[in-house]
Amino acid sequence: MKLIYTLLLVTLGMGLNAQNSYQIGMNKAFELWGKGDSAEAANLFERIGSAEKNNWLPYYYAAQLQIIGSFDMADPVLKERKLEKAQEILDQAKQYSEKDNAEVMVLQALLYTSYITLDPSVYGMKLSGTINEIYRKALELAPENPRVIFSKAEWDMGSARFFGEDPGKYCPEIEHSLELFSNFKPEAEFFPDWGQERAKMILANNCKK
Amino acid sequence: MKAFLILLLFLKLTLCFSQTEISGMVTDRKGNPLQGANVYLENTYDGATTDEHGKFEFSTLSTGLQSIMVSFIAYESYKLESKVEEMNNLEIRLFEDVNSLDAVSLVAGSFSAGENSRVSVLKPLDVVTTAGVAGDFIGALQTLPGTQRVGEDGRLFVRGGTAEETQIFIDGLRVFQPYTASAANLPSRGRYSPFLFDGITFSTGAYSAEYGQALSSVLTLNTINEPVQDQTDISIMTVGGGIGHTKKWDSSSVSLNLTYINLKPYQELIPNNEGYNFQKPYESVAGETVYRRQFQNGLFKFYTAIEHTNFELFQPDENLKDTNLLDLGNTNLYSNASYHGHLGNGWQIMPGLSLSYSKNNIEIDETNIVDNEKAAHLKLKVSKKYNNRLKFYSGLEYLATDFKEDYTEDMVNIQSKFNNNIAAGFLESDINFGKKFALKPGLRFSYLQASESFILSPRLAMAWKVADHSQFSAAYGDFHQNGLPEYLKFRNDIAPEKASHYLLNYQFTRPGYTFRTEVYYKEYRDLIKFSNTEDFVYSDFSNSGEGYAKGIDLFYRDNKSIENLEYWFSYSYIDSKRDYRDFPEKATPNFVATHSASLVTKYWIEDLKSQLGFSYNYASGRPFEDPNTTGFLNEKTPDYHNLSFNIAYLISQQKILYFSVSNILGRDNIFGYQYSNTPGNDGTFSSRAIRQAADRFFFVGFFWTISTNKNTNQLDNL
Repeated sequence: MKLIYTLLLVTLGMGLNAQNSYQIGMNKAFELWGKGDSAEAANLFERIGSAEKNNWLPYYYAAQLQIIGSFDMADPVLKERKLEKAQEILDQAKQYSEKDNAEVMVLQALLYTSYITLDPSVYGMKLSGTINEIYRKALELAPENPRVIFSKAEWDMGSARFFGEDPGKYCPEIEHSLELFSNFKPEAEFFPDWGQERAKMILANNCKK
Repeated sequence: MKAFLILLLFLKLTLCFSQTEISGMVTDRKGNPLQGANVYLENTYDGATTDEHGKFEFSTLSTGLQSIMVSFIAYESYKLESKVEEMNNLEIRLFEDVNSLDAVSLVAGSFSAGENSRVSVLKPLDVVTTAGVAGDFIGALQTLPGTQRVGEDGRLFVRGGTAEETQIFIDGLRVFQPYTASAANLPSRGRYSPFLFDGITFSTGAYSAEYGQALSSVLTLNTINEPVQDQTDISIMTVGGGIGHTKKWDSSSVSLNLTYINLKPYQELIPNNEGYNFQKPYESVAGETVYRRQFQNGLFKFYTAIEHTNFELFQPDENLKDTNLLDLGNTNLYSNASYHGHLGNGWQIMPGLSLSYSKNNIEIDETNIVDNEKAAHLKLKVSKKYNNRLKFYSGLEYLATDFKEDYTEDMVNIQSKFNNNIAAGFLESDINFGKKFALKPGLRFSYLQASESFILSPRLAMAWKVADHSQFSAAYGDFHQNGLPEYLKFRNDIAPEKASHYLLNYQFTRPGYTFRTEVYYKEYRDLIKFSNTEDFVYSDFSNSGEGYAKGIDLFYRDNKSIENLEYWFSYSYIDSKRDYRDFPEKATPNFVATHSASLVTKYWIEDLKSQLGFSYNYASGRPFEDPNTTGFLNEKTPDYHNLSFNIAYLISQQKILYFSVSNILGRDNIFGYQYSNTPGNDGTFSSRAIRQAADRFFFVGFFWTISTNKNTNQLDNL
């Protein structure tokens, strides 16, 4: 009896231990990100990803950091490298998540959007259709996900601006996403929960004049 | 029991406290420190990022044999298995990833139009937005150096080679009839729609051992692997219309395209020049379909195109002092099935088959000629990637051609035919020595059934990066090609013709700018000669011809200096002579212009949502033979000039209005002369100039794409 008790205790302890290190690691990475050390944060997310196996979240954040970082890069060679790296990591996230994951799809659409900013005449024609299709499918899968609605609206605004149309017509969608953001509960710990601040900013800059 | 528990706890505690320090330094191959590399123990959270001196340091609770991993953008990942206790002051050198964007690339002889901005000279859209091209991707390639503009022909002539010396491949498989059917002195166009392809590589010399039966050049086209969405495309043009639809499922997709072209309404509005009067203007119906299916480890593609063309033309003939009526009907069927599979462990397998059937029915007054050509290309390619620095390719292929001709004149019928079967194989390897030096040796071997000859063709390409943005590349190759059907139908056993290419290329690329120049020397041997041009049946054929081509090509593209303006300029100088066919002596053939130049500009006007483009093409005069003068082929036509304009207006994201006009200035370009076969009463041969079919060509098109995510209603109405 005692032996079983002991074993139970030990296994339980080990189990708790493992979960803790994941939590500690993720929290550490978010803390680094918060402090602005995104290179270190991205590296840590990658390390967690490789240690955890079968968990898409660390790769999701590692990819997100690369994608966000790529948008403002001026050197096209470095930018293309970063995007290739981002795609590599995002592919890992895809591998470990369920097949149609709307959150991962949003990141893929953002990654392609960054490619378009790299050289619109090379990537614009090919990728804009792909991006539209990704958002269409993501919306079908997760019609109430605020990040899907907001990211799609932001993309549509950009396209409208390019074609000389009024981006303002997508403001109601951003407002709708903000409603959903305020009620949004992540599925589990560390699940994606970003976007509200940016949605507010886009709304303030583009809609209420 | 209690003792055991305590022991256990104690063990666990000691484990907790026995941390091992891991430290070291990460550098590139030359020992320069790399900052920002991710160093960690596999399967643990323990790791660190290197500092500005490339140094890292972290502690771990792990013991014993572990793997330390290092990953860094643009470098190959590194893995070392060792005892944790020994991971002190590690010195780790990373290999540069030779696939990364700034690595050296083998570019001698080839231009690519594709997604990758690093190696692409043309962008996918360039093919359709170049002024004067009107959707013919062959026309866009003729703005690149190394090509010759032969206005009365329209096909690709590369570096002193005839049009037949260029072969076209779709997904690695041979296309046997790449151009639309046409009459003498009426330019033909590329048969296939540029929108079906997402990668085009145009090689003007010394290309890979994978390709054979082309003395001068190969053009490889890759069909789109995966369409992005369900969509319908509608085009309405002054010369016809088209409709296309793509349907996408989870792992497969189908695209269908139908095009109808009829030049009758256009020619009634804007008549052709004298000498190009149609009894029945050019009319064609074409259908294309692509089916793609994604498997777990591979992709299958099946492409089929069918086209029927007909027209009736009053052809002037200087000998008749009149015209004869040419009635041409052409039916063409082409199918291409290919599979690209990943077998794991770096192995890939690519089997494929293309089949072609072409029937020409030509009536010239009372003469009737019926040509039937059936051809097939069967190919198996295998590749193995050992790592990023070493790749190996090999393949086997079989080309079969079956040609029959029925010639009927004055109730007399002559039949001729030939079979031409070729078995070939190749071995090739990509070897990269770091990011600076790359080598690609190859060997092609082929067996030609008709002439019973076994041929070896070695190929070699290398590239050397000398500075951040510049590199040299050089290439050499031997190329063999069978004679044309026109000769083979009389003599099946003529030996193949041969060419050797030597190229030296310099390229300077910076984001937004490309400059490249290439010098080349090309030697022709075993060219086919014949004695009697009146009647091939009684002619002697031999492989005693020879020739050369040498020259320099320049290309400069700038997308950056002026906002919203992209332009490229190309210039070619060529010196080429050959003794072939019935030439009495070595001479520059009539398709070679010593100087050619093109300037292509595209300007985006934000406020108008429009792209304006001007293209200017120049070629110096080409030789022609005047029987009234002494010597051979030593007269020259006037220079060729053509200024074209186009505008594409984006009405909305999915609607484009396109207008173009070629030869705005209406220059009367003369491509050559036809002389009478016998002198007139005054002892001179009379002549007729070969001109453009029309001074200018106007084109208006409206292109509309309807995709499910934008206009569902429209789709339901169709």
